[in-house]
Amino acid sequence: MSLALHTRESGSSLISPKALMSIRNLELRARVVVEGFWNGLHRSPYHGFSVEFTEYRQYTEGDDPRYVDWRVFARSDRYFIKKFEDETNLRCYLLADNSRSMGFTSLNYTKAQYAATLAATLAYFLYLQGDAVGLLTFDETIREYLPARHRTGHLRHLMLALEQPAVGRATDLASPLKRIIEVVRKRSLIVLISDFLAPIEKLETELTALAACGHEIVVFQVLDPAELTFNFDSASMFEDIESGRTLFIDPNAARKEYLQKLEAHFNALQSSCQRLGIVCKRVATDRPLELALFDFLRERMQRTRGVKRFTRQRR
Amino acid sequence: MNFLAPLFLLGGLAVALPVIFHLIRRTTRERKSFSSLMFLMPSPPRLTRRSRLEHLLLLLLRCGVLCLLALGFARPYIKKALDTAQPSGNAKRTILLLDTSASMRRANLWADARARAESIVRDASPVDQVSLMTFDRQLHELITFDEWNRTAVGERVALAVRKLSETSPGWSSTYLGEAIISAAETLADTRGKAVTGPRQIIVISDLQEGSRTEQLQGYEWPKGIELSVEPIKPRHVSNAGLQLVTDTDDTGSKEVTSIRVRVANASDSKIDQFKLGWTTGDGHSIAGQPLNIYVPPGQSRIVPVPIPTNALASLNPDRIILHGDDEDFDNTVYVIPPEKSRMNVWYLGTESDKDPHQPLYFLERAFQETRRQMVQVFRGDTNLPWSLAVITEAISDSAAKSLRDNVVTGKTVLVAIKDTQIAATLAQLLGVERVNLSEAQVHNYAMLSEIDFRHPLFAPFSDPRFSDFTKIHFWKYRKIDTASLPNARMLAKFENGDPALLEVPVGKGKVFILASGWQPENSQLALSTKFVPLLYAFLEESGTTTPPTSQYYIGDAVPLNANETGLLVHPPSGSELHLSPGEAIFSQTMAPGIYTLGAQAGRRFAVNLDAAESRTAPMPLDELERLGAPVVHQPTVATYEAQRKVRLRNTELEERQKLWRWFLLGTLAVLFAETWLGGWTARGAPSPEAANP
Repeated sequence: MSLALHTRESGSSLISPKALMSIRNLELRARVVVEGFWNGLHRSPYHGFSVEFTEYRQYTEGDDPRYVDWRVFARSDRYFIKKFEDETNLRCYLLADNSRSMGFTSLNYTKAQYAATLAATLAYFLYLQGDAVGLLTFDETIREYLPARHRTGHLRHLMLALEQPAVGRATDLASPLKRIIEVVRKRSLIVLISDFLAPIEKLETELTALAACGHEIVVFQVLDPAELTFNFDSASMFEDIESGRTLFIDPNAARKEYLQKLEAHFNALQSSCQRLGIVCKRVATDRPLELALFDFLRERMQRTRGVKRFTRQRR
Repeated sequence: MNFLAPLFLLGGLAVALPVIFHLIRRTTRERKSFSSLMFLMPSPPRLTRRSRLEHLLLLLLRCGVLCLLALGFARPYIKKALDTAQPSGNAKRTILLLDTSASMRRANLWADARARAESIVRDASPVDQVSLMTFDRQLHELITFDEWNRTAVGERVALAVRKLSETSPGWSSTYLGEAIISAAETLADTRGKAVTGPRQIIVISDLQEGSRTEQLQGYEWPKGIELSVEPIKPRHVSNAGLQLVTDTDDTGSKEVTSIRVRVANASDSKIDQFKLGWTTGDGHSIAGQPLNIYVPPGQSRIVPVPIPTNALASLNPDRIILHGDDEDFDNTVYVIPPEKSRMNVWYLGTESDKDPHQPLYFLERAFQETRRQMVQVFRGDTNLPWSLAVITEAISDSAAKSLRDNVVTGKTVLVAIKDTQIAATLAQLLGVERVNLSEAQVHNYAMLSEIDFRHPLFAPFSDPRFSDFTKIHFWKYRKIDTASLPNARMLAKFENGDPALLEVPVGKGKVFILASGWQPENSQLALSTKFVPLLYAFLEESGTTTPPTSQYYIGDAVPLNANETGLLVHPPSGSELHLSPGEAIFSQTMAPGIYTLGAQAGRRFAVNLDAAESRTAPMPLDELERLGAPVVHQPTVATYEAQRKVRLRNTELEERQKLWRWFLLGTLAVLFAETWLGGWTARGAPSPEAANP
């Protein structure tokens, strides 16, 4: 199923990342994206799009009335049992790369800000669905770990953790995955957000182990448009943000080889993910975040068995 | 323009540095941060169009500053022509001795020697005097001092170059000692004038080991004359020489089946394998199967080269060549196979030749056939030509008369008196009325004493090792009354004074009279070691000896026979040389090869290179010093003094002219211009990078 986004004459469209990033509050940013995403879905001519969430089940005789979700009843006049977060089927861990390489940008906002917004958007979206969301930020070590919860104030903690600046001098992709393997025993959704500008040999090993644990894994590779096109024009001393190493580079001479190597690196990552049944998406930081959210949902939808209708009630 | 401190000019090389930095600007001030360099390789420095054209004038000005500074520090001055003239009192007299021996024919030697000589002539100042001489076996003057002084200053170099171009190395050997001594005596001969300037001899030679320098030993070197040596080194050092080895006339083989040659390998040679063989035609390729020989450096080997007997023999090969070394000037030896001389000795006696008690028995066995000669003893009446006649007993009057006639024409007769019956024959032979002979009374034995070793007959025995005849005992002898022989010359006496051997001239010939026989009955002469050489000496005295040798060396004088004077000589070059009538020797043996006297079938002789010229390894550098020659290695005090005066003069010139001030002023002016232009460029001219953000 493909989703065609409809743009009205009034100018309602996908929110430009530049405008979005001008919102300083991360939670507000995430909310704007999610609501914008829902608005887009609402106006979509393709009614009937729905995603089934298995967090609710219809009340049946004998269920404990204490677990009836009264808000849903108020909205729908139907009795639904809300599962406790421990009992929810979806538990999501967002693994966000916060190394210094994520601090690169050719725009007005860094990759780290975009990745944080993406993670915040996903966290907000899932939280709204009643899913438990956890967070793990890393660079060359694990900086912050928040277990998956769906409690009051937990989302706020997530947002605060995502707002931390990137300080690491290197990127270790394997350690956060090892940590998840160690602490997360139940089947969960693992979303890995990074630029993956590091050797991926060890990553494949950990991803294999993670996939073997039964987790569902989604990988977002966040890259700046300058990294994707290497559209520099003048020969300069290029400095590595993480290591500080400098090289004299003539972009006109080096561009072709750079793009070839970058593509080869991404293809290697893709191949590894495909072998493990992992969804791997490349996201440019100048691409509206709604599209990233859409990709996320579409992939998940394709994975779940059957489709149930879901309607969102406006608050 | 000259410089007092030219080393400072090296500072001008620093001009290259700003050019290199200007063109290759690898590092740029612009820096860009990037997320990761893992996909990037460093780019090589590139010459951009902008880096070539940008600020070129500034670059030139900065380079100009460096150059002017370097020139100023080098202390320049302008040398005037008059200042280069030396005071006339220090005029140098130099003799250039150039080696033109055979060893200088090697590859590059003569060209290098000529170049060196021309360089020395060019370096001579106008007041110096130079004499140019060449030497090999003799000294040859190319330019004398008088000729040098008569020639205009500007034409002297041309004169020397022309003389050198007309000269080339010959084939003679190197008489270095004689040449140096002759040059020293020429310099020492001041003709009574006071000499104040330095005098020197400069020898330009390869200084090979074969150079003859013995004459220098003991020579009293004149004062004030220095010897300087300019050794010329060959490009190739591996040389082996070929020389003919004179055959010993031993009795091992009666026929000449091979020619013995010596292959001598130079001590500094790097090659030790050679090929040897006969050649015909062009003289460069070996005909037939070559001989492979091995001669280590510094050693020699004697190799018998078989005389060809097959088809090659019909081509009459007359030279043997050597292949394998780097130089071929001494690789050919010309060969004329020696002829065997045949001589007849006429014995006038009646005894059996098998009777060991008779003289004939020993006479026949004394002459053994060799490769060089065959002496045949015959008896009886014969028409065979004979060289020596031997009589031991009386003969008929007619025979005696005939014999005398032969002696008068120049023949030689040996009379070994066996008994007194021969007196009449002797008288008839000698042309006297009577010869008194009597049997001597010998008590025990008699010995020879008072031998005339000056006579050619006994000259070979003059050495004290061979002069003892006392071991030869005479049991019997005949007393000869020399009163009847007034022309007789006593060659040997017995210890009692009786004549033992007499020589009596008869007409053009001579008669030798031995007072005793040599058979054991009379004496031990036939059994002594002196018997055979004495007989050969008699043969030589007869005038018919072995044919003249056919092998000579370069520069040797070849004796001519009486019938060869006035003839044409055909040297190897193909030309013709006329001999004057009465000329007894031929001395123009200047080139190796086969010479022919007279017509085609005339006598031939071979001339070869002196073996010493093949010893091409250089002699030790101190060899001449060891022989007493004052060889100069360092410039002398006089030279130092002259150089010091020149330096002082140049310093005075520089201090007077002070050209460095102008260079310094120029440096300041260029610096001012560079500073102004640099500032204007930085302020006013927009850079291309700013125009293209």
